[in-house]
Amino acid sequence: MNTELPPARRAMVMMRVGITMMLKDRARFVGTVAGVVFAVVLAAQQLGIMFGLLQKNTMFVDSAAADIWIAPPGTELFQPGQRVPASTIDLARTTPGVHLASPLVVGGGTIKKPDGGNEGITLIGTDTSTWLGGPWNMVAGAREAILQPDTMIFETADREKFGGLNLESIREVSGHLVHVGGFTWGLIPFGPSYAFAEIDAARDMLGAASNRVDYVLVTVEPGMQTEEVVSRLKARMPDLKIISGPDFHTAIVTNLLKNQLGMSFGLSTSFGLIIGLVIVALSMFSSVIDNLREFGTLKAIGCTNRDLTALVLAQSVAYAVVGSLVGLFLVTRMAAGIRSARLVVITPAWLTGLVPIVMLVLCLLAAVLALYRVRKLEPGMVFR
Amino acid sequence: MTLEPMTGDAPAVTVRSLTKIFGGGATAYTALAGVDMDVRAREFLMLVGPSGSGKTTLLSILGCVLSATAGSAVVLGRDVTTMKPDELPAFRLQKIGFIFQGHNLIAALKSRDNVALVQELRGVPRAQALKDADEMLVAVGLAGKEHSLPGDLSGGQKQRVAIARALVGAPPIVLADEPTAALDAHSGHAVIELLKALTQERGTTVICVTHDPRIFSFADRIVNIEDGLIRPDDGSHS
Repeated sequence: MNTELPPARRAMVMMRVGITMMLKDRARFVGTVAGVVFAVVLAAQQLGIMFGLLQKNTMFVDSAAADIWIAPPGTELFQPGQRVPASTIDLARTTPGVHLASPLVVGGGTIKKPDGGNEGITLIGTDTSTWLGGPWNMVAGAREAILQPDTMIFETADREKFGGLNLESIREVSGHLVHVGGFTWGLIPFGPSYAFAEIDAARDMLGAASNRVDYVLVTVEPGMQTEEVVSRLKARMPDLKIISGPDFHTAIVTNLLKNQLGMSFGLSTSFGLIIGLVIVALSMFSSVIDNLREFGTLKAIGCTNRDLTALVLAQSVAYAVVGSLVGLFLVTRMAAGIRSARLVVITPAWLTGLVPIVMLVLCLLAAVLALYRVRKLEPGMVFR
Repeated sequence: MTLEPMTGDAPAVTVRSLTKIFGGGATAYTALAGVDMDVRAREFLMLVGPSGSGKTTLLSILGCVLSATAGSAVVLGRDVTTMKPDELPAFRLQKIGFIFQGHNLIAALKSRDNVALVQELRGVPRAQALKDADEMLVAVGLAGKEHSLPGDLSGGQKQRVAIARALVGAPPIVLADEPTAALDAHSGHAVIELLKALTQERGTTVICVTHDPRIFSFADRIVNIEDGLIRPDDGSHS
């Protein structure tokens, strides 16, 4: 006498049959996996590019060694704008818990090319007593070069654009002749690339007052809570925006997602997922329709709806796993291929982990239509 | 591992006033109009009749893949017309072997896996199920074809695999729907001869729907069905 097969073992039997059926129909398998790969590549690539663009706009805040930023009121992004009063520096320095407070100057400048014409730069005047405001990512020269008179550090990706810059090249920046003292890599926000100068030199080039301050970068004393120092600074400077580095990062990301990047990248990512969903759903449904007689036979010989559900779901899980692995491999390769100082496609580890889960959910959703058809199938059809 | 065969002379199938009406209202179609029929255990019965006579409908109800409108159909002691829908798959799996007009094999599965699947679903461990399948394939004359896919087999060979699938584990009853219809005369003859020999050997009750007069000689009894009714003068002979 036979014993009843435990549900888990029965499901395993049906899953094995499902995978075998799936692999036998190679053209459909490849087509469906291609659909999942397409969805993975499009969605992950779009998100990766979006993260890369967000990073371009947060890189200064992330790289600056400041625990707290003091910015003009209404500041939403790190960019040239209003100033903060020069007295802010002394107010900050005399606030209990503040370790360092450094001024930062940010302004729009131009660099004159040897063959005529100008290109824009984002001129950063950094306090060389603390180096809180950069430069970073040096690929040639040293940051200390800007200690030399009339010396600047430029972005390496713009060397050709600026007329073939080399170390020791001489260019006219906003009407001042400067030497090229070094190059950074990848410091290009949405606007013109960052170019660094000693703060007083930057003020000169911008034609600004000798006490101009756009931001104040603050570090807290060891052992102090950043939020506590933020509160103290706010109490002393209620008219200025005082925000911790991580909060400034979040505010920039939120602003860009809300106003610029979120909609376009959200849509393209969603389209990728929707197209993947449709491809997998259609493929699985047509697979059921094409093999209706086989499913009917399985029902006739004694398979239950639960058995056939296990079979179909095994196929959808396999599509998700194989498609995700191939897709992520391609995304990684493409990200490496695209990577440049101008655009870094960022695929964080959590995204790599999330993609298979999303694709699994997507493929399980895609199986709903096929499952509906299978469950409605009358086993008696095999006698017709 | 095998199923328990029917023993004794109790009828394997008892059908009383079995009625099946498809649709309703003006378009209602009566496929079975109160059929009465008994099938003895171990009997090889052929159900014959013109197209649309109701023979496949009768086979479908006995096979628990179609519900009846009225009447009863007791198969191996259980009235399949009153069984709950969720009981039917297990009953089919444990008690009935099916042979279809087309071979209806799973194209992606090798011969032995097609046969072994039924045993595995019955709870037989895979190794034993494969052994049972291989033995059954040898019994139907397909030694050496265990690893062949259905697509690599001839029509007759496919139907032999289907017979192996229906008979593996020795279910007490086998329902065959035109098993020779898709085969040439020689293959058809060979297949029905094999089916007859194997079921006789195992004491299996067979109800075989057929149009093919060339195989009538294999029946223990032939039942004629016409317009949804068993003809009163049906032969009880082969």
